[in-house]
Amino acid sequence: MNPDHLLRGAGALAPALIADAVTVRYGDVTALSKVCARFEPGRIHAVLGQNGAGKTTFARVAAGLVPPAEGLVAVFGRQLAGGDVAEARRAGVELVHQSFALPPSFTVAEVLQFVGPISGLFTKRGIECHWQAWLDSLGLGLDAGARIRDLPIEMQQSAEIARAMVSEARLLILDEPTAVLSPEGTERLFARVRELKRKGVTVMLVLHKIREVLAIADTVTVLRGGELIAGPLEARDLTSEGLAELIIGDGAARLDAGDRAALVGAAVGQHDNHSLPDAPPALVLNGVSTAASSGGKGLNKVDLTIRAGEIVGIAGVEGNGQRELVAAIAGLDPLTAGEILLADRRMDRAPLAARRDAGLRVIPFERNVEGLSLSSPLWENWSAAQLVAGSLLAPVRPRALRSAAEKAFKAWDVRFNDAAQIAGSLSGGNAQKVILSREMDSGARLILAAQPTRGLDIGATMAVWKALRHARNNHAGILLVSSDLDELFDICDRIVVMVSGRAVAEFTSPWDLQAVGRAMTDAGKQIVEEATP
Amino acid sequence: MEDLIVAFLRSGTPLVYVTLAGVIAQRAGIWHLGLEGMMITGACATILGIVLAQSVLVGLVAGALFCCLLALLFWFVVEVLKANQIIAGLGLTGLGLGGTALTLTAIFGSEGAVSAPFGLPRLGAAFGAFGGLSILVAAMPVVVFACWLLLCRTRFGLRLAACGEHPFAARATGVNPVTVRLVALLLGGPLCALGGAELAAGSLQIFSVNMTAGRGFMSFAAVIFGAGHPLGATLASFFFALVGALGIRAQLTYGDRIPSSLLLALPYVATVIGLWISARMRGGNTAFSRELGQQ
Amino acid sequence: MTGRLYPVIQTGAFILLALILCSLIFAAVGLSATETLRAILDGAFFRPNALSYILRWGLPLLITAVGVVISFRAGYFNIGAQGQFYLGAICAAFAAEWLRGSPAFVAVPACLLAGMAGGALWALWPALLRVKAGADEVITTMMGNFIAAQILVHVTSGPLKDPSGSGQQASSRPIEAAWRISDSSGSSLIIIAIAALVVLLGWWLVNRTSFGILSGLAGRNPVMVTWQGAKVQRIAISAFVLSGALAGLAGSVELMGPNGRLASGFLPDHGFTAILIALVAGMSVIAAAFIALFFGALTSSGLWLPVMTGLPSSAIDIINASIALFITAKAGVFRGLLIRLRR
Repeated sequence: MNPDHLLRGAGALAPALIADAVTVRYGDVTALSKVCARFEPGRIHAVLGQNGAGKTTFARVAAGLVPPAEGLVAVFGRQLAGGDVAEARRAGVELVHQSFALPPSFTVAEVLQFVGPISGLFTKRGIECHWQAWLDSLGLGLDAGARIRDLPIEMQQSAEIARAMVSEARLLILDEPTAVLSPEGTERLFARVRELKRKGVTVMLVLHKIREVLAIADTVTVLRGGELIAGPLEARDLTSEGLAELIIGDGAARLDAGDRAALVGAAVGQHDNHSLPDAPPALVLNGVSTAASSGGKGLNKVDLTIRAGEIVGIAGVEGNGQRELVAAIAGLDPLTAGEILLADRRMDRAPLAARRDAGLRVIPFERNVEGLSLSSPLWENWSAAQLVAGSLLAPVRPRALRSAAEKAFKAWDVRFNDAAQIAGSLSGGNAQKVILSREMDSGARLILAAQPTRGLDIGATMAVWKALRHARNNHAGILLVSSDLDELFDICDRIVVMVSGRAVAEFTSPWDLQAVGRAMTDAGKQIVEEATP
Repeated sequence: MEDLIVAFLRSGTPLVYVTLAGVIAQRAGIWHLGLEGMMITGACATILGIVLAQSVLVGLVAGALFCCLLALLFWFVVEVLKANQIIAGLGLTGLGLGGTALTLTAIFGSEGAVSAPFGLPRLGAAFGAFGGLSILVAAMPVVVFACWLLLCRTRFGLRLAACGEHPFAARATGVNPVTVRLVALLLGGPLCALGGAELAAGSLQIFSVNMTAGRGFMSFAAVIFGAGHPLGATLASFFFALVGALGIRAQLTYGDRIPSSLLLALPYVATVIGLWISARMRGGNTAFSRELGQQ
Repeated sequence: MTGRLYPVIQTGAFILLALILCSLIFAAVGLSATETLRAILDGAFFRPNALSYILRWGLPLLITAVGVVISFRAGYFNIGAQGQFYLGAICAAFAAEWLRGSPAFVAVPACLLAGMAGGALWALWPALLRVKAGADEVITTMMGNFIAAQILVHVTSGPLKDPSGSGQQASSRPIEAAWRISDSSGSSLIIIAIAALVVLLGWWLVNRTSFGILSGLAGRNPVMVTWQGAKVQRIAISAFVLSGALAGLAGSVELMGPNGRLASGFLPDHGFTAILIALVAGMSVIAAAFIALFFGALTSSGLWLPVMTGLPSSAIDIINASIALFITAKAGVFRGLLIRLRR
């Protein structure tokens, strides 16, 4: 296609977005390969695919954040030079980022002022009044004077959407907006998206759950491995099964039906209860509380028991105490009240090294920060867990550690060249396998797995699930924190819902998505009501 | 009492100007340890301008130009070559200290001191005891207020803060942090030059090698102590200046009992205490992000 | 093999860039860049007895630099080598004063140990401020340098003042001649042995102990090591104290060896040069041993320049500062620029 052909019919009916043979490379990795697609205005388009399919890259190319190596992007008939956000914004595209692009110390009004069109001196009260009126006209229910870091996740998303609407976007792209929301929050978001559509805004939603796509989208586009697989297809012609096959590709048939449904968010998976009621508890929390930190409120009298040989899921909207829970069990947050027993031993004050000795293992939230030192060699990353157990002056034989690490990596099917290469050179899935090879040894009695599959592609996700199930069958207790309810439903024996640092409800199979969703939001309302009598 | 205030304003004003430069850089996301080098460059250029061209204006303009040149170099190394800010900042400081010493030797044949026949314009007799202060002392509150307006009450200031706090947020709205940081560092150039000018030509009318004696680093500490806010950092530098002025006063009064060299160390001790207090106030961390470019 | 060579080439490229900047500065103040650089090289490597001068200046620098490597590897920017060096010399001088009259085999080790203790203490308070309160060590250690310089002025003009001393620079009474570990030429077997021992122990600590591996990980990612359950505070304090002790050792070696007495404001660039050595050596102890000799040569050249060629010694400061400016730059940037230019 040549550009003239692309731009034909510029004007009211010009396509909202045209991508013509768009290719994006990050270094040696091709993130998008010759993607051609055409999105009509005034509709809700879903871009669907697994992690690593290139969805986010596609969204960023359209928003001008990432320059395409080859190919053309045109918005409402205007061809973009590419790689220039300001140009894309002028053309009417705004992108709502998955991890929001809002400076935490800013107030909502300052965020809007910062992206807005008005320069010159302002007063605090002046911009708050101005933007409050504007926010009210959108019906977003945001307080212009609130600081971003004090807002709950769903409100931060609203602020991010408000930020995107300041320039009166005609094409609004939302990157994985549902990943951080409760089921009810998702409903509210979708209502807002339909409202935007009524106002004539074209919306592109990057999603990875079929259930959500079928609930909202007019058209569906499927990406896999950086290539366009199909689309945009009319959503009403599609079935859940057909989409699952498009997303997963050839390997779909080889997957267990429950796992497959969970991977693509097709239906709520069911699974038989493995719980061994007689097994001794691997972990007991009695009335555990921690102090509020800058990041959140802290735990509030949490009671929790995990028996050997069961997987207990922690569900909840992010920022409701999951991080604090993991940090408290790991001994990185001091308790203000309550007790922690690991395999029947009091461990309230024990340092992490002692807890590791007792069989605690941690797969932390942030793979690249808490899990690995990206600029250090793989073998050093791997051997850290053994080294902390001994004295600081203990002699070390690097060669022996290296070969032990290599052996472990091979057993876990890590793709690597050399144990001396830096951890940052591995893909996300391989990096997570390095962590698994370190944390899931035979001595593991209690495993804290915090968002262990976040950002991983299907193969790596399956490897993590397999490892967790294997550990459970070897009578380890597992605490699985995940914001993906499909994942929890698929592999957990029990699910505990956390709201505002409390464990508010517990569920067992058969799962009820609505009930779990209600627990995630209703309990929150109750707590707010209690707090403000 | 009056002479204490005069001494306080004299030692505080250079710090305030340089601190403002540090605040602007810090808000844009650059920890500016090159302040010391820029300050001494400003001091040297001002005195040389007065000595060689018989003009204060030439001195100030030359100082501003040289400081902007250093700022540009610093920006290139830190933002384009992605060097470590702290080490590069120390290098910039070394360049300023060594460069001014080299310049003195090249022009006058020896390292040491150069005195100028006259200094910055004074306030004059109408101000009584304060008449000996330079106009830069009087201009200081105006400059502080202007910086506050720019940083806290304009869209440019918000953009600057976004670049420092969350560069991705800036990029996501079409603001290039690399460019904004260049502007921030260049804004700091003239401010450092004014600080140096006030130090060398405000009351002393002399330039000597290493005469800044760590004031640039104290300014940097004031930026941290003041949490990167222009008013807070100004207050912090006043605090350091007050300790310095009290030290000088104590030297006059108790000079026979307390060794003067230990009194001279007071501002440095105050800086350490200031950092300690601000770390405690902020619940435990003023350590700034840095990772060495280790191979 | 290219993988190993790459960092070396990168370092070389940036040092070249630094030298270009130096040449520009020399030209700007009216010096001939090529002649100045040649004079510096002559002074460094080609004057009579060059090797002895290189060892005299390089070995103390090496001792301090190994300490800097240890703290930088652990992720702590201990900029305070200069202050710790001074405090080491001061403590050794006090020890020498108290031990006056005792035999050399008691006094010399005692003075060296006192120097190490002094340096370690001067590193301990910034370490505690950093670890317990979170106050950044860059500024605290820097202020420590200024405070230490004032203490040195006080000590040399007060408690340890040499009453017979004259001239502008205050200094202490000389060390007993029998205790000197070298004459004023500064190269002696004892100093070489001390430096070699420091390099060996430093290499072992960094590459063959749990402390070495964990501090290397902590320096690159302290959060990860915390999540592994390491005692990060203990690692941090050990790293600070070790680096301070080595700087203090260098201070006492200078005192007991070439200097022979404490002089106010002596070797003001020692700490900064040691930091540069550690950076140029890419945090490797073995590489630091060679780089230290190179910078030792530059230092000796700086003292030779004004005497023999009339060039200012601050030319060396300019070279050092330019290297500091560029040494941490990332070469990957060049590749990125090339790709952008080709488009």
